[in-house]
Amino acid sequence: MESASDTAAAPSPAAPPQPLRFTGNGAEYFGIWIVNLLLTLVSVGVYSAWAKVRRLQYFYRHTELAGSSFDFHGSPIRILVGRAVALVLFILYNYSVRLHSPVTLVVFVGLAIALPWLLRNSFRFRLYNTSWRGTRFHFRGSVGGAYRVFLLNGFLAVVTLYLMAPFAHQRFKAYQHDNSWFGRTRFSFHARAGQFYALYGMLVVAVALFGYVLFKAGIGSGFAAMVHAQQQQHGRVDPRTLFRVMGALYGGLIVMGLTIGSVFQALLTNLIWTSTRLGDHRIECHLSPLGLMWLNVSNFVLVVITLGLFTPWAAVRSARFHLEAVTLVPATDLQEFVAAEPESIGAVGEEAVSVFDFDISL
Amino acid sequence: MLQARFLDGRSTRVRPVEVSVDGTDFVIRGEDVDLRFPLSQVRVDERLGRAARRLRFPDGTCCEVSDLQALDELLATLGHRDGWVDRVQRSARHVLLAALACVLLAAVVYQWILPWGAAYGARHLPPVLGKSLATQTLSLLDGQILAPSQIPAARRDTLTASFRALRLPEGGHPDAPLVFRRSVQLGANAFTLPDGSIILLDDLITAVGDDRETLAVLAHELGHAHHRHGLQMLLRSSVLGAFLTLYVGDVSHLLAAAPAALLQARYSQDFEQQADTYGARLLILNGLSPGLLADALAKLAAARPEVSQGGYLSSHPSTDERLRRLRAFDPADPDER
Repeated sequence: MESASDTAAAPSPAAPPQPLRFTGNGAEYFGIWIVNLLLTLVSVGVYSAWAKVRRLQYFYRHTELAGSSFDFHGSPIRILVGRAVALVLFILYNYSVRLHSPVTLVVFVGLAIALPWLLRNSFRFRLYNTSWRGTRFHFRGSVGGAYRVFLLNGFLAVVTLYLMAPFAHQRFKAYQHDNSWFGRTRFSFHARAGQFYALYGMLVVAVALFGYVLFKAGIGSGFAAMVHAQQQQHGRVDPRTLFRVMGALYGGLIVMGLTIGSVFQALLTNLIWTSTRLGDHRIECHLSPLGLMWLNVSNFVLVVITLGLFTPWAAVRSARFHLEAVTLVPATDLQEFVAAEPESIGAVGEEAVSVFDFDISL
Repeated sequence: MLQARFLDGRSTRVRPVEVSVDGTDFVIRGEDVDLRFPLSQVRVDERLGRAARRLRFPDGTCCEVSDLQALDELLATLGHRDGWVDRVQRSARHVLLAALACVLLAAVVYQWILPWGAAYGARHLPPVLGKSLATQTLSLLDGQILAPSQIPAARRDTLTASFRALRLPEGGHPDAPLVFRRSVQLGANAFTLPDGSIILLDDLITAVGDDRETLAVLAHELGHAHHRHGLQMLLRSSVLGAFLTLYVGDVSHLLAAAPAALLQARYSQDFEQQADTYGARLLILNGLSPGLLADALAKLAAARPEVSQGGYLSSHPSTDERLRRLRAFDPADPDER
């Protein structure tokens, strides 16, 4: 005789894919956004930490997987500390760049040593404070790994004139994803550097073509006119010509970011997430490149013509588009997987987050 | 009675439970769950949109509630009141008021507080900052678009001597360097660096011709130095940039950069007027006429016709307006301070 619990424990052959759902709404988020923007302005930025927590909570709590939503637990005070540190580093960096003295070198070395450590801690903060069904995520990347990924590979990328940049990017994502955990289940990353090179290669070709077309289409003639003017009129360039050329360049950059940038971003995001697994469970990500291009173009236009008031709707549209492209494909039934690791995660308070765990992502 | 999902914090197992109220306690009952917590120990999530709210218990467990209406009713019977930010975020009237307040506040900050703050900051920043900025800018420009001056040394020395002899309205004489350079790209121009040193370009000296008028242009530049317009500009653009990043940076970083340039343009018109006023007062103090500055500006406008029509995004006021002000300058007029 078979009991009900035996039936439940047997591996179920049909494990339906679980798409992420996003249930947020622009009008609702507008209220939260504008009230928090006002409080941030009135408090000269101090409230921005509380605003950030609320923003993340709004988006996490409206993201559903298998009927349960995610949650964000970060403390605003830690985010405030993180922002203060980031601001000090930023001022230090900007000041020292302009100051040509031995101090510059000291600040640069100090920043190079501090940044990988800060970035690692910021990953820890973000993941530790993310949960699903009451169970927290974790980041367990080592400090040594962070130095290898950010300093060594970053250095290699620069000295090889960015020939090794795709490799450095692949190593960075591997460090990030291979060291992420959900409870006691570890994520793993399977994309190879070659796949990153293929995408970056396409990007370089597309940008080169775009630049060529733009140059042919008029910027080139604008430049030629400027050079001609310099030779003919003792070097005076009509500011209006200059303004037109600069405007066309800036506009060209925006168009390039919105079109080629969007396509690249979609393909790269798809590669990264489809190559990521949670334990034996696969993740699929199918962002449509043209869909993302349309999203970015329409958001851009609407934000501009509403003088920024469309921003909350744009953020909600973007979250929905990105999140709903992702599906978790369970290896076994998701309920079963969950039940298979019952006592595994002492998520709450299990890991004392060290004093230095704060969020520096602005 | 309220339907909820109980999470034990140690696994992702979801247990359906019923939440009810007994006196001032929450009672949670379901399959192998029987808990009771006083309201004072339970943290209730704020209501964000239509997301499920969680009741968080002191032992690390929690309940997810999707039926927001029923939860509100239950909380009401316990005398729980949502935080004020929480309530304001959901009230259409308050949201509208917040939007209006944002617009008003942004306008007040842009119009008055930012200029005042930048002026205050520029006066109180350590001078070494201006010095290092200036050194860096000059060495950068010297490599790119500035070449050594071709004006005869004797003429330069005379100009420098009369510049040094100028008496400043605040007392003393100019002590910042006067630097002579030639530039094909910048043409007839003069500009002031953040430490107060003035770069005077050959084409300006030639276009103006009369060195007493060139001295009047230097008086205008001393106005920029006196008010530390370079540093003020830097401070204003930093703050504007930070705000725009905060405002639309979520959506596009490129978008954050463009309006900053436009918002800057109007500020620099005020700076030009301030520098004209200072220059005019300085000229009068030294027994010279503010008309000299007007004459110099008129010649420069003729040499650079595109600028006088409010060229570069109107960063300068129209020349006609400046000439009118200078020729009618009355130092006793309280508006001319």
